[in-house]
Amino acid sequence: MNVFHDDIISVLNLKNFYRGGFFVKKVLVVLMVALAVLSMAKIKIQFWHAMGGWRIDLIKSMAEEFMKLHPDIEVDVQYTGSYHDTLNKLIAAVKAGNPPHIVQIYDIGTQVMIDGGIAVPIQDLIDKDKSFDLGKFMPQVLNYYRVNGKLYSMPFNSSNPILYYNKTLFKKAGLDPNKPPRTFEELLEYAKKLTVKDANGNTIQYGITWPLHSWFFEQFMAVQNAPLVNNNNGRTGRPTKAVFDNEAGRRFFRLWYELTKNGWMINTKKEDWDEANQYFISQKAAMLITSTSDVAYIAKLAKQHGFELGTAFLPRPKNAKSGGVVIGGASLWIIGGHPQKEIQAAWEFVKFLTTTKMQIEWHTKTGYFPVRKDAVETLMNEGYYAKHPNMLTALLQLLLSVQNYNTNGAVIGAFPEVRQIIEDAVEKMLNGEMSPEDALAWAQKEATKAIQEYNEVYAY
Amino acid sequence: MSRKIIPYILLIPTFLIIIIFIYWPAVYSFKLSFYRISPFGNRMIFVGIRNFKNLFHDPDYITALKITAIYVSVSVALTIFASFFIALLLNMKVPGTPVYKALLFIPYAISPAISGTLWSFLLNPVVGHVNYFMSKFFGLRVEWLTTKPYALYAIIIASVWKVMPFDIIFYLAGVQNVPDDLLEASTLDGASTWTRIWKIIFPLLSPITFYLVIMNIISFMFSSFAIVDVMTRGGPGNYTTTMIYKLYLDAFAFQKTGIASAESVILFIIMTIVTIAYFYFGERRVHYQ
Repeated sequence: MNVFHDDIISVLNLKNFYRGGFFVKKVLVVLMVALAVLSMAKIKIQFWHAMGGWRIDLIKSMAEEFMKLHPDIEVDVQYTGSYHDTLNKLIAAVKAGNPPHIVQIYDIGTQVMIDGGIAVPIQDLIDKDKSFDLGKFMPQVLNYYRVNGKLYSMPFNSSNPILYYNKTLFKKAGLDPNKPPRTFEELLEYAKKLTVKDANGNTIQYGITWPLHSWFFEQFMAVQNAPLVNNNNGRTGRPTKAVFDNEAGRRFFRLWYELTKNGWMINTKKEDWDEANQYFISQKAAMLITSTSDVAYIAKLAKQHGFELGTAFLPRPKNAKSGGVVIGGASLWIIGGHPQKEIQAAWEFVKFLTTTKMQIEWHTKTGYFPVRKDAVETLMNEGYYAKHPNMLTALLQLLLSVQNYNTNGAVIGAFPEVRQIIEDAVEKMLNGEMSPEDALAWAQKEATKAIQEYNEVYAY
Repeated sequence: MSRKIIPYILLIPTFLIIIIFIYWPAVYSFKLSFYRISPFGNRMIFVGIRNFKNLFHDPDYITALKITAIYVSVSVALTIFASFFIALLLNMKVPGTPVYKALLFIPYAISPAISGTLWSFLLNPVVGHVNYFMSKFFGLRVEWLTTKPYALYAIIIASVWKVMPFDIIFYLAGVQNVPDDLLEASTLDGASTWTRIWKIIFPLLSPITFYLVIMNIISFMFSSFAIVDVMTRGGPGNYTTTMIYKLYLDAFAFQKTGIASAESVILFIIMTIVTIAYFYFGERRVHYQ
């Protein structure tokens, strides 16, 4: 204490300062010690993610495992709220000059991130890293995050929607539990049979539910091999207009409308995933279309609630072209502006998260796809998929999908707004304000406006 | 140092905080409202008043204005009258009043997001309690949060429930201070309860009403955000998208900083007009004791 006290006195006392000699030496020693301590200190990197609930602990344990292997790196893991919130926090942090090293950004934020020009493209790091083999990764997943031939971010949590159905209720309604609906026509027929009303005429069990989310529209367009926007779904150039007002779009809007109008489907409010899950788990709805990321969770709850769970591919209109499903979820971005040492540490962590072992852990505990082929191979050899047929449904649906621009997913800067517009259109249609045809035409017009408004900023 | 300077020096910390966190952002959003800005702020284009022009040509924004007007006026009226009557009831010496008071004030202590969640549970069409009782007694079932016009009713009910305790506290304090001799005199003159309430108590409390109306307009216009976000997400369509919710969507969901700033400037202007108008017209009719 006394030494410090003396230092302060001497700093304040200019006479002493000018005397030089002893004091300057002391300062130098202090500086050198500080430097030595700093250089031995761990490299600290920040990781922001949007995986709420029990997944917070899972990600934390993965980071701890990494730190055991790399004692010189300290990963500060932070759950930063929903995908929206995480992107907003990133934007605020970038503007304040204090961004994290790694951040998880949702699929539809890809174009915004590229336009922001703040990230270190993963491709650049891969090209420098001889030990890294991209060939081991699933092309279906890479294709989504590769824009203009360049991989900007590392795929992390990928999912797509499947049809979940309650086999017990199927049997009760006289349906074959091993024959899930394969077409839109069958879906309508099944939903009708699975709807049960009480004496007052109130529905006590609905045929089907899914969250009121534009994601399902996007998926059912891909299932019919149709694009959402021009310029090859925005993959060969910035899209300038929406192109989903066609027969494929109309078929899905009409299906949604028919199911709701007849009282065979219960709808949620916008983007309420939990509500749809609740209807299905409490057996108020016999079928559910939702993300594969919930496979493990729903399978567990189905067991608790005493019903048998079945899963199937998304149904398709009888005469539509065969397409496939689009990867959804999020990827990991490395943000620039940090010292090279820290970027390298961040890259090590990202690589670690995509190792076979971590991917198996992530896949089996959540239901998100593994992004690596060898993770699938290992699990297959262990007999995992024989024991977990629902996981296999999800994986097969992705692997059997046609690979082209339509199923690789649209790249749109204004994607969040386009989604809102599609959801507004669906709600207006379900409330009887617009016919399915009008709602779709309106949505296309509004989406085009949003896309062009976004492009304006980048026009010059 | 002279006595004149010291107060200013003491005020510096407060002013610094206010300037950094309130005035500077406010001025900055005025500036931003004249720009088009990319999400990460790396591109800014000066567009003059085009953001404002676009907004007033946007049917969605016009709808938001209308919805806000309906939502705020209905909610304010309901809150004022309901809380006035509840305050009168609480002022009667019935056994168990402290218990009723406690129960009535609880909503004020609950955060808006939580109250939105609670109401979402209650109003759930399939498993909610409200529909359970409605179908039991009337054989009716309503999809409260996803159909027109029920979604707006649901939002109004939840917001009024949330804001009411604040008003009740003020009215209760006011009612307790109404001089007994005034009421006694009017009873002797043969005034009915109804007349007493409207001709004596309500006018005497008009300064409180005056204050509460402004406070309520502000809270419904600005803090309605959480309840809308949790309960309906502005749906169905844009049927419950109030101005503040649209502002949130444009700013934080679609990253349109320029347009969102323009919207906040419009909100600012509206609030200024409401406040000035109310002080100007309200002042004459308010009875100060």
